Amino acid sequence: MKTLRQNHARQVRDGIFFLVMGGLSSSFIALIILLLIADFTFTSIAEFRTALSKPEIQAAFRLTMASCTVAAIMSVWVAVPLGYILSRYRFFGHRLIDTIVDIPIVLPPLVLGLSLLILFHQPFPFSNWIGKGFVLDEFLRETLHFPVSYSWPAVILAQFTVSCAFAVRTMRVTFDQIDSRAEDVARTLGCSRAGAFLRIALPQATRGMITAGTIAWARALGEFGPILVFAGSTRFRTEVLSTTVFLELSVGQLDAAVAVSLLMVAMAVIVLVLLRAIGAGLNG
Amino acid sequence: MIEVQNLTVRQGSFTLPKVSFRVERGQYAVLMGKSGTGKTTILEAICGLRKISGGNIQIDDVDVTNWSPADRNAGYMPQDLALFPTLNVRENLEFALDIRWTSRKKRDERVAFLANMLGLEHLLKRRVQGLSGGEAQRVALGRALSFEPSALLLDEPLSALDAITRSTSQKLLKDINHQTGVTVLHVTHSQDEADALADVCIRLPEITPPKS
Amino acid sequence: MSKPLLFMICSLFLVAGLMYWLFNNDRSTGRPIIQNKSQPNPTEGTKSGESEIILLCAASNQSVIEQIRKQYEEETGRRVSVQYGNSQSLLAQLEISKRGDLYLPADDSFLDNAKGKKLIEEVIPIATMPIGLVVKRGNPKSIKSLADLQRSDVRLVQADPEAAAVTKVARSILEKSGQWESIKAATRAFRSTVTEVATDVQIAAADVGIVYSPVLVPFPELAFVPIAEFESGISQVSLGIISSTKQPAAALHFARYIAASDRGLKSYQQQGFTIGAGDLWSDLPELTIYAGSMLRPAIEDSIIAFETREGVKVSRSYNGCGILVAQMKAGQIPDAYFACDTEFMSQVTDLFPEATEVSQNELVIMIPKGNPHKIASLRDLTKPGLRVGIGHEKQCAMGWITQNTFRESGLQQELMSNVTVQTPTGDMLVNQLRTGSLDAAVAYLSNAAGAVEFLDAVEIQGIPCSTATQPWSVAKNSKYPLLADRLFQRICSAESQDVFEAEGFQWQLGTKKLNLPKATATQSTNAQSTTEAAAGAKE
Repeated sequence: MKTLRQNHARQVRDGIFFLVMGGLSSSFIALIILLLIADFTFTSIAEFRTALSKPEIQAAFRLTMASCTVAAIMSVWVAVPLGYILSRYRFFGHRLIDTIVDIPIVLPPLVLGLSLLILFHQPFPFSNWIGKGFVLDEFLRETLHFPVSYSWPAVILAQFTVSCAFAVRTMRVTFDQIDSRAEDVARTLGCSRAGAFLRIALPQATRGMITAGTIAWARALGEFGPILVFAGSTRFRTEVLSTTVFLELSVGQLDAAVAVSLLMVAMAVIVLVLLRAIGAGLNG
Repeated sequence: MIEVQNLTVRQGSFTLPKVSFRVERGQYAVLMGKSGTGKTTILEAICGLRKISGGNIQIDDVDVTNWSPADRNAGYMPQDLALFPTLNVRENLEFALDIRWTSRKKRDERVAFLANMLGLEHLLKRRVQGLSGGEAQRVALGRALSFEPSALLLDEPLSALDAITRSTSQKLLKDINHQTGVTVLHVTHSQDEADALADVCIRLPEITPPKS
Repeated sequence: MSKPLLFMICSLFLVAGLMYWLFNNDRSTGRPIIQNKSQPNPTEGTKSGESEIILLCAASNQSVIEQIRKQYEEETGRRVSVQYGNSQSLLAQLEISKRGDLYLPADDSFLDNAKGKKLIEEVIPIATMPIGLVVKRGNPKSIKSLADLQRSDVRLVQADPEAAAVTKVARSILEKSGQWESIKAATRAFRSTVTEVATDVQIAAADVGIVYSPVLVPFPELAFVPIAEFESGISQVSLGIISSTKQPAAALHFARYIAASDRGLKSYQQQGFTIGAGDLWSDLPELTIYAGSMLRPAIEDSIIAFETREGVKVSRSYNGCGILVAQMKAGQIPDAYFACDTEFMSQVTDLFPEATEVSQNELVIMIPKGNPHKIASLRDLTKPGLRVGIGHEKQCAMGWITQNTFRESGLQQELMSNVTVQTPTGDMLVNQLRTGSLDAAVAYLSNAAGAVEFLDAVEIQGIPCSTATQPWSVAKNSKYPLLADRLFQRICSAESQDVFEAEGFQWQLGTKKLNLPKATATQSTNAQSTTEAAAGAKE
């Protein structure tokens, strides 16, 4: 009969396991913490306060909050149906659409901004039969009196283009994880497809929608390249906090740049915590 | 009544060869066959959740082959039950009636009736995640019956239950069939169940893999 | 109603609300985009809510332009929005979007490039900035020369040579001495703007960089080190007016402010730039031009177009040159003088030190159409009984040249005996010919060209001094020399040249030369004619 014995070797191996996993994870956490501490010690509370009291920065803050929120909400609005379609249906061109949706994620931000600029200012492709061609920006500015480039809609468009791609990815995964069986049963009970989507699938997707919105908001906050090229970074007009850092840096105002950076970190943290609380609250 | 004639379904490499059978109104039919022979596929096809490549389907003497599942008036209970996770028991039961804009009075009546028949009165406010296997079964059953369907399609409804619950459930199913007169098509691989419940037994032939 | 649906509907309201706020916010910061109406009076434009001016500005000029912009907005109430970046990417943006009114790169080579692509119209020189090294204050690593840049303990950064002007200039200097490759190899990193180079040195990511000295103004902890090799490295900072601007007058208004010696240039000087001459600032400058009357048809349209484009006033006095010179000597000095002939320009050398020859006009014999008196040469004018009109010798260049011509032909006395009238301008002779009170007149080809339906012209052959050369000059004490120069550039434009030719002038643009008084041989005649002209003016 075998006597029970502890396997110390295994215990040691378990210990090493925790060490390695912990070590790798904490090195990343430590890096982020060190970055934040470095930023903190570079500036002082007084500088922080002076930087934030500048009217340009306050205007940039307001514009950032507004544009990120709008871009995030729009992203979720688009991502929910798109994610649902990509998740539930297999159709001709499915893989193509899938790839296209991922393009803004892999594209370098400046390329995105440049492409937006070209799309709006050069004659539309294949439009040469309309006089000198259809120039989107001109049309919007003169005919609809809604100027886009170098104006706040450009900021939102630039942010939306990238954040929506992330939101679609999230919603796609969300719907993948929701059992489509329930929607099938709903349909046998007399539901239309729309009914099944709205009553059964969507309620299960709330967590996913919040995550998508959070990711979209965070991405929009960090967006810089496309905004700079497409919307410009004009003070009081199209300056958002991410371009503020660039502007302050380019005048050599390092203190202001760091102060604004820390402000953005704070904003991001607050919004993440808030949204996570809402998500937890919703799921009871 | 349920009837299928020369029903063929093709999905990827799986092909259901021509199947034909008929279940008369009010009968309790059991569909038997080894696993993988396509029993679930047939049920889904009858519901309208699976595209078919040939044959036709009739429910209550009406050809519903090309109809959407919402119109076929068939109650479906899948093997994994698929209860609506964001709704509580009562809401699951009244779902079909809600869709049909039934008046509050009629809805409450029907729910009360179902709850009574299935022993669910004390569970109405419970969330579906907190139900035991047997309780969940009964909720799924009630949901499928809520709109007084012509046909009730059950996919291995008893296989996940323990012996005691199984026998009570068998009795329950038989009672429902007699009380409501709904035509039942019950899929199982258990001979005992077939013996206990079936008026009619339909056996599916072996499916030979296609020669390459 | 499911929760997420509620969510989504609330979010729609939120989006609508935010967009409304954004729209109004944009409006209230004073920048509505309203269709631009033409502005006859530029100062009134500010109240009619015109849209703002957009200036594309190189990063190296950010500090000084911000100062000027704030001043400008306070002083004039007009709004300017500036976009900063490196000279190259601003140019690229301009090419694609064609949005913007002014472009201020760090080096005028970019403007040449832009002009070549037809993106820029006028160019206004502003200042120059020298190139040198930037180090931390106190120069801890004792970097004093080009050789020090290649030391192993010295980290050098530069701005990108394709994008930023400073490195372009440095490279062209160093390529000539063959040192560029080694300096390039010693460069640790290429940053996208010159300000980033300074920032790197500030946070000690680098020890030295190559920058323009004014870039260091916001960096009190940094010091500028000029080195011998870069002595010739001076960048000319000039402001370009973008061709596609929809508000040229407003753009030029701000441009003039920047280039004004008592406004923008002062800021430039304070911030370490080297400035040149500039115009004085005036919200609505008034330029005074004196020009020989024969030049009116050739330049009047150009001047009107110039007024509209720049949004300035140009008051012009067309008269006989003798009269104009007398006015000038009496103290009424214009900003520029476009004379009928170099003879008269040389009488005011103290006021106009340099002049540029622009065109030529030759004397002809004007006769009624059909040539009833059969005149084919000067000699024919001596026919008895002929009534000939000429210009007054002292009042206008035309008259003076006519006398010289008569003298050269050897027929002066005979010709003068047929002269019945001497006028101060050729137009009067044309009128008299048309009314029939003259049989012939000696005037400019341009006068004849203006009246081809009624007159014919006969060439005066073989007498070189019968051709007048028109010089242009800007007064040395003018308040608006740059503005006057731009008017001159407009007069020298291709369209203007065509007008000159059509009016009978010959376009002969020379180079700017010293305006010397005429040599002694004609000095006595000069002295006589000037005093007599002065006497004439006093009457």
